[in-house]
Amino acid sequence: MEEFVIATLRYGTPLVYVTMAGVLAQRAGVWNLGLEGLMIIGCCAAVLGLVQTGSLLFGLVLAVALCVLASALLWFVVERLRANPIIAGLGLTGLGLGGTDLAVQAIYGSQATVNAPYGLPRLGPYFGDFGVLSVLVAAMPFVVFGLWALLRRTRFGLQLSASGEHPFAARSVGVSPARMRLIALCLGGVLCALGGAELALGSLTIFAYGMTAGRGFMAFSAVIFGAGHPIGSAAAALFFAIVGAIGIRAQLAFGDRVPNDLLLALPYLATVLGIWISARFRGGAKAASSFGELRDY
Amino acid sequence: MTKAMLAEAPTAFALQCRDISVQYGEVAALVGVSLAFAPKLIHAVVGQNGAGKTTFARVAAGIVKPVSGTLAIGGREIPTGNVGQARAAGVELVHQSFALPPSFTVAESMEFGAERGRPVFSRRGLEKRWQKHLENLGVRAGLRDRIRDLPVEAQQGVEIARALVADAKVLILDEPTAVLSPSGIEKLFERLKGLKASGVTVILILHKIREVLGVADTVSVLRGGRLVEGPIAVGATNARRLSASIIGVQAEKEIAADEAALVGATAGDALAGAAPAAAINAAPVLAMQRVVTRADSEGPGLEEVSLRIGRGEIVGVAGVEGNGQRTLVRVLANLVEARSGQILLEGKDVTKTPLSERRARGLRIIPFERNSEGLSLSSALWENWSARQLLLGPALRLINPSWYRNACDASLKEWDVRYHTTMQAAGSLSGGNAQKLILAREIDADASLIIAAQPTRGLDVGATAFVWRALRDARARGCAVLIISSDLDELFDICDRIVVMLSGRIVAEFRPPYRLGEVGAAMTGAH
Repeated sequence: MEEFVIATLRYGTPLVYVTMAGVLAQRAGVWNLGLEGLMIIGCCAAVLGLVQTGSLLFGLVLAVALCVLASALLWFVVERLRANPIIAGLGLTGLGLGGTDLAVQAIYGSQATVNAPYGLPRLGPYFGDFGVLSVLVAAMPFVVFGLWALLRRTRFGLQLSASGEHPFAARSVGVSPARMRLIALCLGGVLCALGGAELALGSLTIFAYGMTAGRGFMAFSAVIFGAGHPIGSAAAALFFAIVGAIGIRAQLAFGDRVPNDLLLALPYLATVLGIWISARFRGGAKAASSFGELRDY
Repeated sequence: MTKAMLAEAPTAFALQCRDISVQYGEVAALVGVSLAFAPKLIHAVVGQNGAGKTTFARVAAGIVKPVSGTLAIGGREIPTGNVGQARAAGVELVHQSFALPPSFTVAESMEFGAERGRPVFSRRGLEKRWQKHLENLGVRAGLRDRIRDLPVEAQQGVEIARALVADAKVLILDEPTAVLSPSGIEKLFERLKGLKASGVTVILILHKIREVLGVADTVSVLRGGRLVEGPIAVGATNARRLSASIIGVQAEKEIAADEAALVGATAGDALAGAAPAAAINAAPVLAMQRVVTRADSEGPGLEEVSLRIGRGEIVGVAGVEGNGQRTLVRVLANLVEARSGQILLEGKDVTKTPLSERRARGLRIIPFERNSEGLSLSSALWENWSARQLLLGPALRLINPSWYRNACDASLKEWDVRYHTTMQAAGSLSGGNAQKLILAREIDADASLIIAAQPTRGLDVGATAFVWRALRDARARGCAVLIISSDLDELFDICDRIVVMLSGRIVAEFRPPYRLGEVGAAMTGAH
């Protein structure tokens, strides 16, 4: 049982961080499809920064800086150049996947995985079996509830939510929706960097090309499934993680009798199921109908 | 006149703008407008649609930045186009379509625009903070209620309360009466008089002269983005003079029709040409019998709605918005399913018939939202115009675009649509011309039942008169017409019969001569 919980948290923690970035962006009015790209930039920068300088702190700072920079780029393209946010987000994902590959090839001359000497600090023996998990796992609930409090229990959060839901209402009380979107995207960049770092250095200590494997899109789905609510979306992300952990367990249990690929596809199937459920029962499709337009009237 | 008024007023105006000009692309929305409002009075700014009233309000509130001109609040000049500065100086604007995020609770709606107070709060602390504020203003809404669940009158109350969270000195309301029932309008005016007594300067953007004369102390008239006159004391003018200055110099006959739209003359010529009751009952064009639908996100469901419309009859649906009028149109258009009951069109049961077949039988719809439901804004005029005919034919039929273009050209000329070429996108038309394009498509020789949902919303007086004429002509040809409107004056003028909807039911039916009080009472369920 504990093993199962640990597997779920390992799978789920990076997902939750990136999901929270998606929640922030969605609340501010941007459907951020660049999460996948931001996440892999986080993975790559954390590992390369650590490998090149030997300092974990430098790796994390580099990851945060690059993710914030990429988020600000997305904001600029969407807000100032009036590009369609969906297409710009997908472009950012392409930039992340291609850019990290380019960086690895430029530095190491090959597409091989990059091994880091060590990873994020672990919780330690005080936590028993859970001691193998990284500190970011323990920080996750605080991030989720902190984000909820920020969005629903501070005036800043209300103004940020208003910027996404009714930009004109925000403007008429003197709030600039564009500025709010910049703040939301940059904060999201920080969360994506942490999510990426957790994925690459949490339980593993490697960077491999495309290692995010669609987790950014899964996080995006969790935002829709959770209707943009921080706790609901985090729960959705953890649900996907549970399905992922079940897939891993099933591989061990069934061995070769069931095709591995099918089991690995389970969380992705759960994602599709989640989207279908939210469209069917909660008007998720309606939310989706505003995809791609940045409302500012 | 104007100069005399200005001289009488105290030295520090509550709000003064000098030489304000606003440009939207090629269009000049305001041209050199200078207006000064004395403190602690109710001022009205009137004009037709497109006269620049809303733009003026937004400039005063700092939402729109003018290309030139200055703005002073309480004698102190503030930078233009800066909401924060305008609010700090005490100017608040209540928008025509309210500007509150639908998912917010009432308490959150107060807080998100507030200035002071703790940056982090608990839900209870938040509710405690705003309880008193709402009570003082007499706004009846639970602090935990979500904006989207509130009836429009409560929403407006909340919006006004939101505008007054800070120490507002100048409160501007943009067309506040458009969404209200007559009794709601009375309550709003009482509230405004209370605010005036407590020292707030109120500026009302209105377009109905009757309301202006009832509540305002001074009135200013805008026309085509220019100030025509004002502020003049309401006692020094009258309805006739005001409507003349709102409309400007036009042919005498046109003014008569337009005046009715502005002043809100009752009775009108509704009686003329009305079909005898016997003919209606003999063979109604539309007969709905106890139709029931499910409530959905777009409004309450219908509850046992029965309605008959005869040949050559115009029937109006009155009611406060959101009481099932949209569902009524959607059930007739087969966009929502009738759970029970029957819909008969020309005597044939069409309850389960798809819209295309209903259209083939003469159903025509002028929808609520002309820009999203009525037209494809990115498609060409001729494509929009021919859509009705094209959709009726088989999907793989070859079409001849040049034939449709020519036919469209002839039809639009007949309907007096101002356009460049039939190839231009429908989105490039002004509101009035866009509506005429829809009329040209929907009102044809084969039409038997025309549903006109808010057919004149947002149109100027000339275009409104045009739409009315088109509907009357259709009636003269024997069409049945169903008009849904939130403008009672419009319904009183044009309808042979008015039914009132409340919470998905038809609760009352009236025949001319109509009395505002009776219809209003039925709309709010007070009768």
